[in-house]
Amino acid sequence: MEPNEIQAALAAAVEEVLETMYFSTVLASADGAAPSEGGGAPAITVKLRFEGSPSGGFRVSVPLTLARVVSAGFLGREEAEVSDSQAEEVVGELANMICGSVLSRLQSDATFQITHPELTPTEPGVGFEGAGANRWFDLGDGILTVSLELGQTV
Amino acid sequence: MELHVLIVDDSPAMRSFIRRVLDLSGLEVGRCLEASNGEEALRLLENNWVDAVLTDINMPQMDGEEFLRRLAEHQVLRLIPVLVVSTDRTESRIQKMLTLGAKGYVTKPFAPETLRDELEHSLGVVHGTE
Repeated sequence: MEPNEIQAALAAAVEEVLETMYFSTVLASADGAAPSEGGGAPAITVKLRFEGSPSGGFRVSVPLTLARVVSAGFLGREEAEVSDSQAEEVVGELANMICGSVLSRLQSDATFQITHPELTPTEPGVGFEGAGANRWFDLGDGILTVSLELGQTV
Repeated sequence: MELHVLIVDDSPAMRSFIRRVLDLSGLEVGRCLEASNGEEALRLLENNWVDAVLTDINMPQMDGEEFLRRLAEHQVLRLIPVLVVSTDRTESRIQKMLTLGAKGYVTKPFAPETLRDELEHSLGVVHGTE
């Protein structure tokens, strides 16, 4: 699978999910690690694994301030009404939907089993170690980062 | 006529989103019950009639596939139209759920109007056979 093919799938999947269900728009996007702005700020990072052909892992990292904004859009509430646990859950759903969308774009006829999203303490902007594709998305209120690692076919 | 629905999903956030979409859809939603898995949904349906069920597939305790099987075995509950709402877009999965008795299948992410249209379609199938 070509790297640019993976990047295109990541870009299309994130934009589709954010615009359709989170009522958010991507202002800018590029491959690689996120720009350092906001580095060290509290973030929600969620990872999940998928098994199929191919297998691999997927990770989404969102600064807490942005997580509250997208959660408010998803839940139809004010940002102040969104609890940390609700924001974590909404980011988990976001990761699940983006991963499903990416995989269907890369292998439309394959069957994948995606695990439930798990919270991970990783800092925002940090992708998978070793081989993997990273891409960041500027939503105006912060930068969302996604990482995809394609492992061996099972 | 008010539409009574049951939303089955292990994510409270997703249940909340679907409920909001239904409220905004223009459909006249009455009672909106929620369950976090198939087992809990079956318990709720023992004492509560609904016009439609919207269910996820991957859930703990009892997943969407087993939930559909159990509904299909029930003399009365099998009449309730079920709409599957899932991130799984694979054709084999969609066909399997339809074979198990689902009246429709919506993949996440979905636009609010898609959910409304599919739900109306599912209800129409039932109305047409009465």
